Amino acid sequence: MISGRRLLRAPARGPLARLGRINWLYVLLICLLGGVGYAALYSAGGGAPQPYALPQTIRFGVGVLMMLTLAMLPPRLLMRLAWPLYGLSLVLLGLVLHVGHVGKGAERWIVIGGVQLQPSEFAKIALVLVLAAYFHRIRWERLANPLFLLPPAAMVLLPVALVLKEPNLGTGAITGLVGLSLFAAAGMRLWQMVALALPLPVLARLAYAHLHDYQRARITTFLHPEQDHLGAGYNIIQSKIALGSGGLWGQGYLHGTQGQLNFLPEKQTDFIFTMIAEEFGLVGGLSVIGLLVLLVLGGMLMALRARSQFGRLLALGIAMNFFLYCAVNLSMVMGVIPVGGVPLPLVSYGSSAMLTVMFGFGLLLSVYVHRDERLEARDPDGL
Amino acid sequence: MRENSPRDPDGQDPGRQGHETVVRVTRGDLAQRALMERMRVRLLSVAGGFGVLFGAVGLKLTLATVLHPMAPAPRQIAPQVPRLPTNPADPKGLMADDLSLSHVRRATVTDRNGQILAISLPMAAVFANPLELMDPKDAAQKLKAILPTLDVDDVVRRLSGKKQFVYIAREIPPEKELAINDLGIPGIYFEPGEKRRYPLGRTAAQIMGAVDVDDHGVAGVERYFDHRLTSDSKPLRLSLDVRVQAVVRDELAAAKTEFQAIGACAIVMDVRTGEVVAMVSLPDYDANLFNHATDDQRFNRAVTGMYEPGSTFKLQTAAMALQDNVAHVWDRFSTIPIHVGRYTISDMKTDHFAPWLSMPEVMAYSSNPAAAHIALDVGAKRQQDWLRAMGFFARVPIELPEAGHPIIPSVARWGQSTVMTVGFGHGVAEPPLAIVRGTAAAANGGVLVKPTLIARPEPAETQDDRQASTLFSPAGAATPAGGYQDVSAHLPLSDGPASRDNSDVVGGEAEIVPEGPKLLSDANSLLLRKMLRLVVTKGIGKSAEVPGYFVGGKTGTAEKVGARGGYLKHVNISAFTGIFPMNTPRYAVYVMLDSPMATKATHGWTTAAWNAAPTVAKIVARIGPMLSLFPAADTAAIDAALDIPMQPATPSGARELGPGNDPGDPHDEARSRQHVATRHDAKPDLERLRQTISWRDAHPARRDASDGSLKTSRDASGSLKTSRDASDGSLKTSRDASR
Repeated sequence: MISGRRLLRAPARGPLARLGRINWLYVLLICLLGGVGYAALYSAGGGAPQPYALPQTIRFGVGVLMMLTLAMLPPRLLMRLAWPLYGLSLVLLGLVLHVGHVGKGAERWIVIGGVQLQPSEFAKIALVLVLAAYFHRIRWERLANPLFLLPPAAMVLLPVALVLKEPNLGTGAITGLVGLSLFAAAGMRLWQMVALALPLPVLARLAYAHLHDYQRARITTFLHPEQDHLGAGYNIIQSKIALGSGGLWGQGYLHGTQGQLNFLPEKQTDFIFTMIAEEFGLVGGLSVIGLLVLLVLGGMLMALRARSQFGRLLALGIAMNFFLYCAVNLSMVMGVIPVGGVPLPLVSYGSSAMLTVMFGFGLLLSVYVHRDERLEARDPDGL
Repeated sequence: MRENSPRDPDGQDPGRQGHETVVRVTRGDLAQRALMERMRVRLLSVAGGFGVLFGAVGLKLTLATVLHPMAPAPRQIAPQVPRLPTNPADPKGLMADDLSLSHVRRATVTDRNGQILAISLPMAAVFANPLELMDPKDAAQKLKAILPTLDVDDVVRRLSGKKQFVYIAREIPPEKELAINDLGIPGIYFEPGEKRRYPLGRTAAQIMGAVDVDDHGVAGVERYFDHRLTSDSKPLRLSLDVRVQAVVRDELAAAKTEFQAIGACAIVMDVRTGEVVAMVSLPDYDANLFNHATDDQRFNRAVTGMYEPGSTFKLQTAAMALQDNVAHVWDRFSTIPIHVGRYTISDMKTDHFAPWLSMPEVMAYSSNPAAAHIALDVGAKRQQDWLRAMGFFARVPIELPEAGHPIIPSVARWGQSTVMTVGFGHGVAEPPLAIVRGTAAAANGGVLVKPTLIARPEPAETQDDRQASTLFSPAGAATPAGGYQDVSAHLPLSDGPASRDNSDVVGGEAEIVPEGPKLLSDANSLLLRKMLRLVVTKGIGKSAEVPGYFVGGKTGTAEKVGARGGYLKHVNISAFTGIFPMNTPRYAVYVMLDSPMATKATHGWTTAAWNAAPTVAKIVARIGPMLSLFPAADTAAIDAALDIPMQPATPSGARELGPGNDPGDPHDEARSRQHVATRHDAKPDLERLRQTISWRDAHPARRDASDGSLKTSRDASGSLKTSRDASDGSLKTSRDASR
């Protein structure tokens, strides 16, 4: 639906005009979070730009350029690219199982042209794209028929299975949840959700039986961290101590004892939020969470603002992905869920999550830039 | 599509006025609109869900940071937090009492002042369970960064095996253990252990001994106190004083170098308590490198080495004669060489000796035949009893497993020749510590103390006192500066036999009374002290004098026994046993040089007076102040008190031994017969004795002059004639002069 007001504006044609339609406030929020990341990595590097802060800032700059470029692309093109990208992501996921680099006990990386790539991250975006494209063409009413849910279910399960095989439990679960959120937004019925949830306990038992030892250890540790305070429970206990030592106002920038004295493991990656909270306290931690909330809800608002089903679902998927990153990471460092190797987007050190998130934000901005464009469903009556 | 938004169906928006032309709502549009509306609801609820979840995360953060902050569990941080000393007087934990490390099994060993001699440091061994390792190569490379000596290829090979336990490195210090732990490699574990270290290296290396890889003591104190060190975590406080130990080693090493000796040994012992303050054996080694030390370096000459005491033993001969009332200080003894079978007992510089010497002269000039005569006066039985009582027949009691058993002739075959040779310290071999002990007993009032390496408990002293002054004895501690002068000033020294034993009266309430069997009367002990002092003031031990310290002592030079059993003519064991200060004996200082060479400064002599005695003087001069003994200012009074005439007058009514009254004369027919009967029996006793050609002693024996000079009998005063009955080998000495 297009309101009359929008008729006054011609559809944005030139690149400059489209640049003007970018939600610059949102870009500012992204840059703010990037700044938080720089400050935290500066501290994690012992109060120096090397080895973490500077390389990460360069990546962030590259990411911003990529994001703005993507924002220029019309959703029509994105929709057309969805299937090829999805296919490519499956190929890469298959590839990583065979020629992947083993990192910390799992095959997750492949190197293409000297660039480390984590196909599971790429696969999440591709999945969002392809699901958005699928549901864009399927009417709400048709989804009452479970048969129409089978093809997208297969689209979700295929990459999820490959990711779990790596094995990467955290990313696999996030991928599945992102897919599920698109199902829900696209019109999955409540009874279908309930039906899906019922066999979950059984599935969980089955999954647990097939978990790797280290994954089981994480779950056991999560349930009883004190049992193994120097082994697998070490990380989470140190993290909790660090949070506790932060208090309300924190120990001061560059003065967090747990982080600066290396008690805190992986402080530049998974546990960077702990470090922030230790040095800036509850106030600093809540500020960072506030920023994350603004970014997630901003993404949701953009989803609401989009006219096309594809745009909405795409924006939702991106926001959901970002939210899940944040929620899993924050819950993990606070000991709410088992440790899973999920970074805090834009703050943690590392290129894969950073580029994936920036790629997603690029798509999000594209949706916003082209929010008023209508996309014809090529097959409005379904398959 | 041209249609109105459902929310403004009338097109009332001013911006739109005039632009709307057609309003036609199709069914598809309605469906689309409914879809969007439903999606909006769902999206909003998802957003709401996000908000709730973020709220939960925020709440959890509030709990974790402010409401219920988690503190590290004590047991968790215990390994990372060093045990801080709790003694406020000693915040840095420098003193021994704070060195009982709780996380090591073996107790620290300190010297008497708390200086660490041996300490166990926590060390860890790194091992891996390869089955738990995810990436052996990665693990090995990470470990290599922390352990630079690691052989990566070898480690990778071993980690790739099927074993469940692979040692990666042993004895890594705590900081590396922490660094490896920080790597967080799954499957890498630590095995706690400890490493024995000897921070002072060579100082007291042989005393400390060593532990094996399993931390069991294998030598020295470590072995002797193995059970104590592993069962009680309190530091073991030895009687050693590392300052004195270092000085003694320094001087001894200098002497060893100067005289090119092949070995050397020195002991400093408290004559009242038996506490060994220093004990050095050279060559030595770094105690941390026990496994690389040679046998010669490990050999503790002070307790394991058996050496003929030489004329140091004349002190014992004099002591037994005095105590058994066989001889008196005014008696005189013949210096005429004695022929025993193929051998001759003689002195080197006989031309300086009168044919008859008083007992002080015998000591001061160290005459072998005269000492032999005294010994003959005492006789075999009393000689044996005395030496046995003095501990010379048994292993010297010291807390070292290396302490050896002396070599002594068989008591059953203790013939007259044995009596004579033992009388001047030959034919027996004793460890230096036994000599020191016997000399201390003669000087300290006649009490045979038990040598010990364990410091006496200091009941009255607190740690603060010990820190304030490094004094040893409570007597010294009471008057830190000049205590020694004060004490000596009111010593009731006198010549008479009724003079009190001054070792009992020194220092007042805190005086240390030597504990042990009392073998000498106070009067006889005082006489012996005076004679020992005489050796230094007027005898052959002048080079041992240190002004103000009243050193007394006795030289002892013995020829070394060669590999084939015979004496090596030019190779000596030169020793000097000193006691200082002689008016109130406190410390015995013993120095022995093994095979010293002559130098220009010694005018070609290799005997004790030229090398061991001056070394004792150097040591006394340096350690005296350390032991809170300072040179006495008023020396004249003490000198007078310690004075003894070279030829004491015979009291009226007493018949002195001397020419014409010599019960120990080997020429005496009855004794000769007895001797003939026993001499052959004595043969197998002491292999070396049989092959002895002559005995020489402490007075100078020139290397070049010694050959062939020993068998010359002397015709002193032209009236002495000594003949040897070669047919039966019996001893015959005729003395015309006295007849």
